[in-house]
Amino acid sequence: MDERDGVTLTIRSTKRSKKKSATKSRGDAPKSSRKSRSATRLLAIGGGKGGVGKTFISANLAAAIANLGMRVVVVDVDLDGANLHTCLGVPPPKRSLADFVAEREDDLGKLLVDTPLANLKLIGATHANLAEAQPNDRRREQLIQKLEQLDADIVLLDLGAGVNASVLDYFLVSDDGIVVLQPEPTSVENAYAFLRAAFYRRMRSAVVSQDAQELVAIAMDQRNERGIRTPVDLLREIKAADSADAERVVETMDRFRPRIIVNGARTAEDVKLGFAVSSVCKRVFGIKAEYVGYANYDDEARRSVSLRKPIVDLRSDADVSIYLQRIARKLLGLPAAKTSAGDETGTKKMARETDRPHNELGELG
Amino acid sequence: MKEITDPDHYDHYELLEISQTADIDEVNRAYRASQEIYREGSLALYSVFESDDGAVIRERLDEAYRVLSDSELRARYDVSRGYEPVKLTESSAPPSPDSSTTVESDAESVSDLSGAASAGEALGFDSDGGTREYDVFEDESSGDFNGLRLKRTRLFRGFEINDIAEVTKISGGHLRNIEDENFIDLPADVYVRGFVSAYASTIGLDPKIVVPSYMALVEAARTANQRSGFLGRK
Repeated sequence: MDERDGVTLTIRSTKRSKKKSATKSRGDAPKSSRKSRSATRLLAIGGGKGGVGKTFISANLAAAIANLGMRVVVVDVDLDGANLHTCLGVPPPKRSLADFVAEREDDLGKLLVDTPLANLKLIGATHANLAEAQPNDRRREQLIQKLEQLDADIVLLDLGAGVNASVLDYFLVSDDGIVVLQPEPTSVENAYAFLRAAFYRRMRSAVVSQDAQELVAIAMDQRNERGIRTPVDLLREIKAADSADAERVVETMDRFRPRIIVNGARTAEDVKLGFAVSSVCKRVFGIKAEYVGYANYDDEARRSVSLRKPIVDLRSDADVSIYLQRIARKLLGLPAAKTSAGDETGTKKMARETDRPHNELGELG
Repeated sequence: MKEITDPDHYDHYELLEISQTADIDEVNRAYRASQEIYREGSLALYSVFESDDGAVIRERLDEAYRVLSDSELRARYDVSRGYEPVKLTESSAPPSPDSSTTVESDAESVSDLSGAASAGEALGFDSDGGTREYDVFEDESSGDFNGLRLKRTRLFRGFEINDIAEVTKISGGHLRNIEDENFIDLPADVYVRGFVSAYASTIGLDPKIVVPSYMALVEAARTANQRSGFLGRK
């Protein structure tokens, strides 16, 4: 899983390792067949609880990544509560994902809407059929396939709240599943519930034997009498039942690498929460969840939503923008740096960063 | 078959999330950080346990610390697990959960819980403290080093201006002007270059990365001043 951990990888090497990641990390994803992998990387922003800033984070990471010179499509898959377009300053799109769900449109490319940023396109989720907003299983699989085929470097999915099957599947098929949490008990509780639900759903499609599938189903019930509380408990039980499935479970656990973002941090304590949650995931659940960064609480960030512009564009030098830009760089595997958004493209910036110390070495010596 | 270590079977090192070669300071820091995470009422544990499993983890952490903080016990433990013996240096400062001893920390390591914990303590954040000067995600090997970033790194690593002045024999005023990017009051570039280099190495940054970055800032500011008619000192 080098491509997931490699903070120092460049954009190019991220792409090169793409094929590997396609075969390695996608094998057990929900049934959809994945042939012809393009170099599109799928990022999903979830987190269970509503109101933790998933859409705010999605809009700003999308803008920050676009500002780094990559072609980004940000997709509002929150069909029950679409408002990503608002955060990006785009009027409610006339065509949206709802048209795909309702089978009025098969080509996602035709649903793309321009945003004020050159590299950033949006697929909105407006005017969904509220009686039946979510796609059925078959349509969902088709959607996931088409999302992966979009012509873009990065496809970023803004997930809805809750732990329904759609949300979990978008999270699980993504190259990076990101959980946003706020420093408050309700959010922490939902984040753990979300991670657990996502994990067991992936497990369920990974194991083959009847016994193992039953065990996963038992584990999904939090108060099961079997005493399965964590993925590790589940592994122990499956080991006893079916060794081939135990191996699949181990593989799955190893590949399940959610990321964590703390939004709305006001204190050092809040910043540390991300490390603490990551530690609990590892030491209690046996899940490796990497903390990729935080965004601080910022009144201006709130105002940016009213002004319908991502804060990274509105005020690229605000602390919260710097933190968001840093998360973007970290997710892309770029060296951490303070960038003022929009001033130059990612490649140019990178070239400058790598060249400069080198050029001036002689002068220093 | 690949093995996933069951957290229930973590050894003392895995439990404290440190390497087998960690020195006593790292052991102390890791233990203090883990105490904070696994204390009763910890936000990160909210909804995780239904019963007193939290107490079980705390006991295991205490036991891990009891062994690893004692060089004799640790050596015996290492032998019993077949680990490479590590030469340890004793530290004079035993940790306590609420001590606020300043410890040097690895700002660059994302997985370094201990660094995060100790830095928060070292900077004395209260509930209203901001996040601005608390930055655990900075990658010191790249990026632009401006005054704020230098100051942030200095604070994060527990250095006072005076500490640097003492080591480098550069006046505190100059050092502060560097952090505040008060270029007008700084001497000629050749001196500033030396100051920044000394500042960087004192707080453990690489001058080869910091100096060019900072000097570019100085030069840009001076050029701008010259253009706008001010006397940029060269």
